Amino acid sequence: MNKFSGFLLAAVLSMGAQAEIALIVHPSNNAELDADYIQKIYTGKLASFPDGESVVAYNFEESNPLRQQFDEKVLHRQTQQIQALWAKLVFTGKGTPPTVAADPAEVMKAVAADAAAIGYVDASLVDASVKVVAKF
Amino acid sequence: MKFGYLSVLLAAALCSGTANAEVNISGFASVVGGKVLSGDGVPEFGLGPTFLANYPIVGVYEKDWTFKPDSKYGLQFSADLSEGLTATAQLVGRGADDYDPAFEWAYLSYELNDHWTLQAGKKRLPLYYYSDFFDVSYAYLWIRPAADNYTWQIFNYTGINALFNYQLGEWAVSGNLYTGREDDGKNKLLSDYFFRSPVREIWENIVGGVVSFNRDWLDLRLTYMTYENRRFIDGQPRIWASTGTDTRRGKFMGFSANIDYNNWVLLSELNRLQLDNDNLDTYMVSGGYRIGSWTPFIAYADFDATGEVHNTTSVGVRWDFHSSAAFKLQYDSVNDKGYDGGQVAGDSKALTFGVDLVF
Repeated sequence: MNKFSGFLLAAVLSMGAQAEIALIVHPSNNAELDADYIQKIYTGKLASFPDGESVVAYNFEESNPLRQQFDEKVLHRQTQQIQALWAKLVFTGKGTPPTVAADPAEVMKAVAADAAAIGYVDASLVDASVKVVAKF
Repeated sequence: MKFGYLSVLLAAALCSGTANAEVNISGFASVVGGKVLSGDGVPEFGLGPTFLANYPIVGVYEKDWTFKPDSKYGLQFSADLSEGLTATAQLVGRGADDYDPAFEWAYLSYELNDHWTLQAGKKRLPLYYYSDFFDVSYAYLWIRPAADNYTWQIFNYTGINALFNYQLGEWAVSGNLYTGREDDGKNKLLSDYFFRSPVREIWENIVGGVVSFNRDWLDLRLTYMTYENRRFIDGQPRIWASTGTDTRRGKFMGFSANIDYNNWVLLSELNRLQLDNDNLDTYMVSGGYRIGSWTPFIAYADFDATGEVHNTTSVGVRWDFHSSAAFKLQYDSVNDKGYDGGQVAGDSKALTFGVDLVF
C-alpha cells in the first residue's frame, strides 16, 4: 500500500516537473507554425518557414530532459528514434540537424538575434526579446 | 547525437587569400561479433558452415567467433563553404576489409533553392530502402538489413544526384534523381566469392530515381534504376548469352512501405531486378514492438531467381541503452534452396550481437 502510494506520488510529482515548453522565434517573425510544421522542421522534412525563408533551428543535447520532453510531446517520438532518423539523414547527405545549444540562455540569445531562428525553452524563461509561436 | 559538435575551424590558405570553412566531423561505428551455430555449407564448392551476412563486402561468419563481418566505423567530414555549397567526405573502414579506411563518399552539394539540391561526386547507390545508409546500423532496427535483399556487388557510383523535397498537403514528398557509373577494378563479391578470379565489374549509364511519401507514421518509397553491365574476368570480357555482346542491361525497381505507429514498427520492401531475361526478386517483411528502450523484432527476407533461391528468418532485439548507442542481439536462420550451382552458402543458423553508435 505504502509502496503504491509512494509510486503514485512520484508519478504526480514527475508530471508536475514537466515544464511547459514554449516554441520561440524572433519578434519580427510573423510565421504561423502549428505542431505539424514544427514536427517537420525538427525531423528534417522542412527547412524553411511558410514564406520560404530558411530556418535556423536550435535544439538541446539528447541527454537534456527538456529535449526528451520536446521529442515526446511535440515530435511524438522517443529521443532515440529522433536520433536514428537524423543519423539516416546526416550520413546520406539529406539534411543538417538543428544546432545544439549548451543551455536555454543560449537559445534565447540566438533567437533574439536572428530573424531566421527557431528554438524552444522552458516557458517560464521567455521574455520580450523573443516571440512565442506555440506552447506545449 | 552530437553531429558536428566536434567542429573545428579550418583555416585553409588557398591560392591568393585565406578561406575559412567550418568542418563538421560526425561518425558512426558498429562492433558486432558472432558465429555460426550450425550449418551445412555447400559441399560441392568445398564450403563449410557459413553465414554470409553481407554479400557486397563478403562479410562471412563461420564456426569460430569473429568480430569482422559486421563491424565498421565511419567518419564524415562536412565543410560548409557558405552560400549553399557544402563539401562532404565519408571515410569508412570495415572489418571484412581488415578495417582499411577508404573514402566511400566524396561529393559537393549545392542548394539550388528550398526544394532542390544538386550533388556531384561519389555516393552510395540508393537502390533499396537501406542501401544509402547500410553502414549506419544505428539508424535501423536489426544488426544489418536482410542479407538476402542486399546482395548486389556494386553499391557506390560516381555521378550527379539531384535531391528534391516538397510538401503536398499533409505529405512530405522527397527523393532524388541520379546518373553516373561505377568501375570496380577488383570486385570483392564476384572475385572472392563467386568466380574466385579477379573480376572487374562495370555498371555504366546508370539512371535512377527515388521518391518517398512520408506522413506522420507512414513512409512509402518507390525506386527505379537502369544500368548497363560489362564484366571482365581475368581480363577477358564476358560475352552475355542474353545479348550476344559484352553489354547487358539491368532494370531495378522496388517498393517499400514502413509504418511506425504507437509502439509498433512494421517494415517491408519488395524489389525486382530484371537481368538476362530473368527476374531476380527480393522481399523483406519485419515487425517490432517498442517496450521502453527495448524493441524485440522478427524478420523474414527472401531471394528468388533461376537457380538462386534463399531466405532468412530472423529474430532479435534492439536495446537503446544510451541516447546515441544501441545494443542488438540477433538470431538468423538461412535456408538455401539454390540448385544447379546456384547455391550461395548453404543453410545456416547464426547468432550475432553488438553495439551500434553515432557521434
